[in-house]
Amino acid sequence: MNHTLTVCPYCGTGCMFYLVSDGGRLVGVEPSVTHPVSRAGLCVKGWNAFAFVHHPDRLTTPLIRRDGELRPASWDEALGLVVERLRDIQGKHGANSIMFASSAKATNEENYLLMKLARGVFGTNNIDHCARLCHSSTVVGLAETFGSGAMTNSIDCIDQAKVILVIGSNTTEQHPLIGSRILKAARSGARLIVADNRRIRLARHADLHLRHRNGSDVALLNGMMQVIIAEGLEDREFIDSRCENYPALAAAVADWTPERAAAVTGLDPEDIVAAARLFATAKTAMIVYSMGITQHSHGVDNVRCCAALAMLTGNLGRPGTGVNPLRGQNNVQGGCDMGALPDVLTGYQKVADPAVREKFARAWGVDGLPEQPGLPLTRAMDAAAEGLLKGMFILGENPILSDPDQGHARRALESLDFLAVQDIFLTETAQLAHVVLPAACFAEKEGTFTNTERRVQRVRKAVEPPGEARADWEIICALAERAGYGGMRYPDPSAVMDEIASLTPIYGGIGYDRLDPHGLQWPCPDRGHPGTPILHVGRFTRGQGRFSPVDYRPPSELPDDDYPFVLTTGRTYFHWHTGTMTRRTHLLDREERRSFVEINPDDAARLGVRERDQVVVTSRRGEVRTQARVTEMVVPGVVFMPFHFAEGAANALTNNVLDPESSIPEFKVCAVRVRRAP
Amino acid sequence: MKYLSPEQLAPFFASLEATHEVRLPILLPDGTRTLGHPSDGPLALQGGPLPGKPTAAFFPHEGGVFTAAAETVSTPPAPEKPLLVAGFTPRDLACLRFIDRFFADGWRDDIYFRRRQGAVIVGASGYCGPGGSLIPCADGECDLELVADCARWLVVPYTNAGEAIVGGLPDAAPDGALERIREESAALADVNEVLILRASELIRADRVPDTFWAEIGDRCIACTGCNLACPTCTCFGVQDWRYAERVERSRMWDSCQLDGFMREASGHNPLGTEALRTRRRIHHKLAADPERWGKISCFVCGRCDTVCPTGIGIFAVARELVERFGSVGGKAGSPCP
Repeated sequence: MNHTLTVCPYCGTGCMFYLVSDGGRLVGVEPSVTHPVSRAGLCVKGWNAFAFVHHPDRLTTPLIRRDGELRPASWDEALGLVVERLRDIQGKHGANSIMFASSAKATNEENYLLMKLARGVFGTNNIDHCARLCHSSTVVGLAETFGSGAMTNSIDCIDQAKVILVIGSNTTEQHPLIGSRILKAARSGARLIVADNRRIRLARHADLHLRHRNGSDVALLNGMMQVIIAEGLEDREFIDSRCENYPALAAAVADWTPERAAAVTGLDPEDIVAAARLFATAKTAMIVYSMGITQHSHGVDNVRCCAALAMLTGNLGRPGTGVNPLRGQNNVQGGCDMGALPDVLTGYQKVADPAVREKFARAWGVDGLPEQPGLPLTRAMDAAAEGLLKGMFILGENPILSDPDQGHARRALESLDFLAVQDIFLTETAQLAHVVLPAACFAEKEGTFTNTERRVQRVRKAVEPPGEARADWEIICALAERAGYGGMRYPDPSAVMDEIASLTPIYGGIGYDRLDPHGLQWPCPDRGHPGTPILHVGRFTRGQGRFSPVDYRPPSELPDDDYPFVLTTGRTYFHWHTGTMTRRTHLLDREERRSFVEINPDDAARLGVRERDQVVVTSRRGEVRTQARVTEMVVPGVVFMPFHFAEGAANALTNNVLDPESSIPEFKVCAVRVRRAP
Repeated sequence: MKYLSPEQLAPFFASLEATHEVRLPILLPDGTRTLGHPSDGPLALQGGPLPGKPTAAFFPHEGGVFTAAAETVSTPPAPEKPLLVAGFTPRDLACLRFIDRFFADGWRDDIYFRRRQGAVIVGASGYCGPGGSLIPCADGECDLELVADCARWLVVPYTNAGEAIVGGLPDAAPDGALERIREESAALADVNEVLILRASELIRADRVPDTFWAEIGDRCIACTGCNLACPTCTCFGVQDWRYAERVERSRMWDSCQLDGFMREASGHNPLGTEALRTRRRIHHKLAADPERWGKISCFVCGRCDTVCPTGIGIFAVARELVERFGSVGGKAGSPCP
């Protein structure tokens, strides 16, 4: 019986636990009692994180499509074919005719290596990952306002906050060990404001529950800032000494009276005033947000408003404060840190900067690196659908279920001349591939994940991968070798991290020898540095914090007579994203077995729909049959669907309209109609 | 009576590996304690109850039930050597006794007894609790007990199996140490035990309104940790995995805090709200089991309180319940002061 300390593969909270193995097989999970985040507890997904690993559906051998069917092949054939086809496409259509999709499920080292493969070996900046779909708005918005697109504070800071504003985050379900911390703080005297029109668990414990209209966050936050300034509650000293462009903010929000904000948000003006006063008068006030803020066609604007509210009230750079985007995937922070993004190399060093390119090119032993930023993942899908992008290599992502407008995503992938997918199961996306490469899962490899509070933690191998499956980092290195590049030979992932540290100032002091037992928080610039629990202490990363005022823009598609409901999408507590792992975990799948749509009892009564009736939900993009869940969780006029399920897929309905700056899709608002299924 | 010095403890257990599959408290790299093999980490008998339930040695988180291939069905083999599991506190021993009876009652659970049968149980008590605090002596209920008296471990066998194992150890001079610890144990009052008993009385007297359970249920995130950490929780789920040439059936710990635990095929659920599920969790231990077995089935180990991320382990719930509904002359349903 062995106990292997590792990081949970689900959300960005970054709980650590021990995988218990016996005779080469995982038999359970035990929480780490000393871990600063999980503190002896886990959520239901963490407790069951071992349970999918030996599932019979695991991919065990490379597959190559022959005569229309995926058939087992040797590694030699599969690797050779991937390189040959990608090179061939580039030869015919140019270096940027291919795209690499990396994975927030993979380790830092693997994200770094795929980024290196794309840029250094295949000469394209067309690399991105699913951060595009979740927090690209954060990266843009917080980089502009603070100089760093990451959670400013630590999870521990929740215990020190006097007021917590949770906006667009169903924290107890999506980051359960953070949500439970907020819940406990609220019971210990912290005041809680929840801004989310679903009646989520935290809302039941809130001092104020603001059920504002979907997509009206800018109006709400501008309204709160108007009240704060009008009542003289702003932190003048902080604004004067730490920030810039305040007059522009003050001018921009001056017209956003509570009444005007109320008209847009649907709230009572008094609630906006109450929220503003509560937040602004607290000694320590913290903002926690997630997809409800980011997944809009104005996601970056929402983030700018969150940043402005925190600066306006001096709630940055201290314990118990901050702007705290909760990163979704276990390693979506790391995927971004590692430069699996089209415009930056590791540590957000811009590809447009000649000195940065020169540094990396020299370290990698290549002649030069591409200068123009590449395609964001969402725009790459558009390009593929239009026939402009010809080849794609997807590592551990499942866009057929996770991307907006499923019909569009399918057309995009089916339009490609060549698609290679590297994954642990034959996902809906892998089923379309020309080559499938079987990968090891989190329990079968070494590496690091970086959690939402920037904590770089060790992932450790507990059992062997099934069959011929290999760790992602080994596969990527083998591809580089096949492509004729000799600069990706590493004895182990630790050596990859050493290379990352040598090229990445914020990871400069990270090394495996320093990560026991519970990691280090970046920035960690040198080997003597203890890590940084709180960003922007005394000074913002960019120097002065910048107010970036914005005006309200409504969502792209609002209800009308034909499509009278707002559809908002998200996740459930028991499943993870496209269900690849959780739908193969007995207890989790038992809890949520099928697609459903939440509908308010008033709406249900009007439509003649009862609990558990089959209904048809239709948008301008598509139609799905699903099961009605009649509940006051949602307000009248709004329906909610999780996107985990291939059958009754919410993303068959969603709108592929993108934020112009971050290219994030508007998953949170589109118009649908609902009818009882015949 | 025998004794072992702290330095002799690890070699003693190592010597037993020739005849037993030994599981004992070990220290993992980040300071977490767990049951493991002697070679898996430093011995960590000091520190009180393990965070995980020691009964997992016999009823693991997940384990095989059978494998069916072609025309054969095979069951997991019994261990080659009998298990020897160390580190049971007296409360853990009470839990073990409870689930031994449960798994033997009526239909004997052969998967459990495949590991449990013939296992040697080693208790741990004395001054080995958290921070060197006193854990009361078990005085039986195990094959042998290790009692920490600060400078050494007194070794007290209670069964023939225990006698056989400790036979070769040096005798301790009769200096009254064990008796002293027993007296101190007897004088120990456990506020949590009092709390649990009082909560049980109140629940059984129907003094706790449904609104209370709704409030507690609102704080439950359904992590299931309370059930998974509880040594007397025995519910399990069953799954079948179909491979190319075989089907493997296994079972894994389940939780009554999950909606699917009681959901009917129709979708209807007699325990369909968090309030009902939370009520059931506490009721089962403090009201149903006393009627079935004549005894509360919470043995006050505290694991659910440690593992619960939102602070609604059974002690916390009992405390709140007694504070709100337990005052003399208090009325059921009276609001929180």
